Amino acid sequence: MASDLPYAADAEVSLSYDELEVLRLQYQKELAQGYVTVQTKFNYAWGLIKAPLRAHQVEGVRLLQELYRAEPTRRRECLYYLALGHYKMGNFEEAKKFNALLMEKEPTNMQAISLAQLIDKGVTREGYIGMALVGGAAAIGTLLVAGLIRRATRK
Amino acid sequence: MAPAATKPPAPINCKLLLIGNSSVGKSSLLLRFSDEQWLPEDESSATIGVDFRVHKMEVKGKKVKLSIWDTAGQERFRTITSSYYRGAQGIILVYDVSNRDSFDALPRWYSELETYVSDKVVKILVGNKVDKEFSRQVPTSEAQDFAKRMNSLFVEASAKTSVGVKEAFTEVVEQIMDIPELWDSAPGVGAGAGKSSSGQMPGGNVNLNEENNEEGGGGCSC
Repeated sequence: MASDLPYAADAEVSLSYDELEVLRLQYQKELAQGYVTVQTKFNYAWGLIKAPLRAHQVEGVRLLQELYRAEPTRRRECLYYLALGHYKMGNFEEAKKFNALLMEKEPTNMQAISLAQLIDKGVTREGYIGMALVGGAAAIGTLLVAGLIRRATRK
Repeated sequence: MAPAATKPPAPINCKLLLIGNSSVGKSSLLLRFSDEQWLPEDESSATIGVDFRVHKMEVKGKKVKLSIWDTAGQERFRTITSSYYRGAQGIILVYDVSNRDSFDALPRWYSELETYVSDKVVKILVGNKVDKEFSRQVPTSEAQDFAKRMNSLFVEASAKTSVGVKEAFTEVVEQIMDIPELWDSAPGVGAGAGKSSSGQMPGGNVNLNEENNEEGGGGCSC
């Protein structure tokens, strides 16, 4: 009985170009007609959030933020996907903030718990990369200094 | 099986999808199956969009890696969850035996399946919440007949007491193992392969799978 932890599937799986295109066309059609339904906007934002391109994710987050303000009945899903979008963009602080708001309302929500773990992992990974950068810079600095000293002593 | 006999064969990937009306207990069945847990109603929350778990098991001597996709039953997610049908080899349709509406909604779920998945895909109908026997609204025999008509396996279960839960998942996987073309690497037999029927999806506003038949739906690529 092996089972992995619950896992935020929407963080990894993106739509095909055609699938996103269907959602985008629907959104733009309604935009041109002057009235965008909540569902259309939400679907498009969801597709954008899942996309691998940062520009798409940014746009998705923007749309979700508008929905969050305008549509109290959609708040829980907006919070979840806002957290997911920020997580994917590497904005871990924002991601945490939105996810925490969701968990405040639903402390046992397993999707939110799982996303919180993903965010924490992301923060740790970023920490390691930061340390590696600092460490690398220090190593290069040492080499440079050593080189200078050697050159100075050779003369 | 594809891999050479010299090394231990890689596990067979298998994608299952849970669908059905909201609050029939799809997530609860999955939680019971994968973690041997159960959350009381006031602690469990409606699934947002889709959730996903991996579970390894052995069926008929074969190692199987199950990826189980748990979809939101709410109408508002209908369009977006339809994109997860692609590549599924097994579908678990869930209703609540103490909620007639959830049973009456099944034809709609089946017509969605007709749109998105190949008819080779294994289906099982699961009547959940048999622990609520005192308020049962769907007789076993009626559901059994319906499942037969819809060419589906059938089991009654309770995520709360864990009756029938393991059986439900195991039966689907066993039947999938009996149909090698569903999982034996050849692309183009799994769900979504060439099933790009046009038009609106039932209950939703756009059909995500509209122009999607180049995906192949690869049996083992899930």
